[in-house]
Amino acid sequence: MATHETDVCIIGGGITSAMLAERLAELRPGIRIIVVEAGRSIFDTRNRGRYRERAMLYGEHPWPGDYIEDQQADGIISMTMAVGGLALHWGGACNRFSEEDLRLKSMYGLASDWPIEWRELERYYCEAERRLNVSGEPSLHPEDRRSEPYPQGPIPLSYNLQILKAWAEQSGLKFSPLPMARNLTPFGGRDGCCVYDTCGEVCPSGARYSPDFTFRQLMAPKKIELHDQTLVRRLVLDDRRPTIAAARAVHQDRPNEPIEYRAKTFVVASGYCWSSHLLLLSTSPRFPNGLANSSGLVGRYMNGHRFMQATANIDDQTFPGQNMTHSLISREFFRCPTDKPFVRHDTRVWESSAGREPRLRTPDGKLLLGDELLNDWRSRTKGSSVRLRAYIDVHPSADSRLTLDASKKNRHGDPMPKIEHRFDEATLARKAATEAHIAGVFERLAKASNGRIVATSQGDYLDHPAGGCRMGTDPATSVCDSYGRTHDHQNLFVVGAPTMPTGGCTNGTLTFVALTLRSAQAIAGASPV
Amino acid sequence: MKRRTLLQRAAAIVAMVPFDRIRVFAQPRELTPEAIATLHAIAATVLPASLGAAKIRDVADKFVGWTRGYREGVALSHGYGHPRLVKSGASPVPLFIRQLAALDAQVRTRGAQWQALDLEARRAIVDAALVDAGVRALPPRPTGQHVVADLMAFYFRSSEANDLAYRALINREVCRPIAITTRKPAPL
Repeated sequence: MATHETDVCIIGGGITSAMLAERLAELRPGIRIIVVEAGRSIFDTRNRGRYRERAMLYGEHPWPGDYIEDQQADGIISMTMAVGGLALHWGGACNRFSEEDLRLKSMYGLASDWPIEWRELERYYCEAERRLNVSGEPSLHPEDRRSEPYPQGPIPLSYNLQILKAWAEQSGLKFSPLPMARNLTPFGGRDGCCVYDTCGEVCPSGARYSPDFTFRQLMAPKKIELHDQTLVRRLVLDDRRPTIAAARAVHQDRPNEPIEYRAKTFVVASGYCWSSHLLLLSTSPRFPNGLANSSGLVGRYMNGHRFMQATANIDDQTFPGQNMTHSLISREFFRCPTDKPFVRHDTRVWESSAGREPRLRTPDGKLLLGDELLNDWRSRTKGSSVRLRAYIDVHPSADSRLTLDASKKNRHGDPMPKIEHRFDEATLARKAATEAHIAGVFERLAKASNGRIVATSQGDYLDHPAGGCRMGTDPATSVCDSYGRTHDHQNLFVVGAPTMPTGGCTNGTLTFVALTLRSAQAIAGASPV
Repeated sequence: MKRRTLLQRAAAIVAMVPFDRIRVFAQPRELTPEAIATLHAIAATVLPASLGAAKIRDVADKFVGWTRGYREGVALSHGYGHPRLVKSGASPVPLFIRQLAALDAQVRTRGAQWQALDLEARRAIVDAALVDAGVRALPPRPTGQHVVADLMAFYFRSSEANDLAYRALINREVCRPIAITTRKPAPL
């Protein structure tokens, strides 16, 4: 068996892993760090323009081989398993949560509080924004005050978004440009944005942050070792102490040659799905339900946010295609008065071409050819479609779970995860009122410019999923402390999304990163735990 | 439509295409000269005449290039939310050749060449072919379901066509300085 000795073994190669590795290397120069990732490295940045082109022409996936066919979960939102993780193809949205997310129990009697003070988390938001080079505009709400400015000014609003901002603000709501991890000018070895407008698929210029850049920058000066295509199958408990002695793994191409990682500290940075999965797989006589699981809560309180979306038609003229991946955000409903029925959500506005795309037939079925089709299309380009969406604050029950599905196993015989989301009773009780409120907000927005809502729908999955190893101060009701250190094992940490007790009501990645950077302090031993 | 939703739907559409029906030994990998000639003839009907003959010919040639660039068994965008692995099917070239030959035969039964038929006759032929192939709407991109629908999608889904429809230089998905997007697109 091949054995690797290191100081810190980070399991998982996504955005939290990249941020943790980078921060640890700064806090503890010379520390030995090995990052182990089940998927492959896709570092051929020069080919990304071609991958994008083929995605647009042929529908091909723009990250070749970024998945492991037999390492998939029921209920997962992306198949991607590669160095960089889901942040290879995230949109780059970098919204902060608000203080309410951390104080749901004490303010509203709902879900649970996070064991972190907002003012402390806010400092790590600043650090996360610096590292991701977030482009943003300070919030218009005083409760969102910042201790540092954004590292870049806001992404310039396209002409379309300028029109839509003026339209949307007639509702009385205030909108800002969406903060995004998108370089306006070259930064961090990545180019500036030139509006390829495929941020959520692939960014050929690298302007939209992705973790592969960080890993390469850490590998070149040998600040870390990256072991890709290496699946950690089990964490192994020390024979005598409740600490982790080793991580057992296999290389995807050499499954019969086990690999062992021995480290002083192990960090599970495998995201909301695979973190709980690894802990549940790592059973032992002393921990028959999996490591870090004496509370029985590993894999529970899986969370995220529901969403509602709508299309509005308005008379104001826009020109779809200017910058479709950028949007406006209102934080108006991040705060809910404590004496009113609870409802929290963000509100987003995008340019859209819905209903204004070329069509093959008229509504009565006549086939359109050549200039007929073009003229029909032109006749429908007057005015604008607007895409609206709200991410809704919903809270999980303990039965919102990731479990091991014995009926689906990978090539090594390990059961794969199955995720089933469930909401707590309070969330279910307010569902109708929440939906009516959001529909009302959409209608309120649509009123200006002779607008009307022409379609409304609800998401059928939870976006920005998190949870499964929730943090807390009580070992009976949580898996880890606020730094991600598991209550059961002093040298085992979980970082990022899995530690979140609740999923908030806006994009989660910046919060995953901020929490991880805070964990890095504890992992490095540079701050009191 | 959200981009990843669009890609997900595109992948699903491609997955529904019955490529296996056309899989036989030693299939042609490229459109034949006869098929390309028919494609050019049809292009003049299904693409806007206002583009001009040279441009229409250029679009058709680029579509032929698209068929040459097609790769089989490649993972398509696996989407977000409800991901699933779908791989590209067999090359649509053999099917396209058959479809173009069938269209050509339809024209010949009327004792004329494609351009000699009046517009309604050409519409009827294309309409019947698309209905027979199960094409109900303009595909988001060429999907291998029917060569005419794919040729039309190839052009009408392009950034260039979008500019033409809006009569403005939007340059959707074309690399350009971000400052340009802050201004109203210049008229074409």
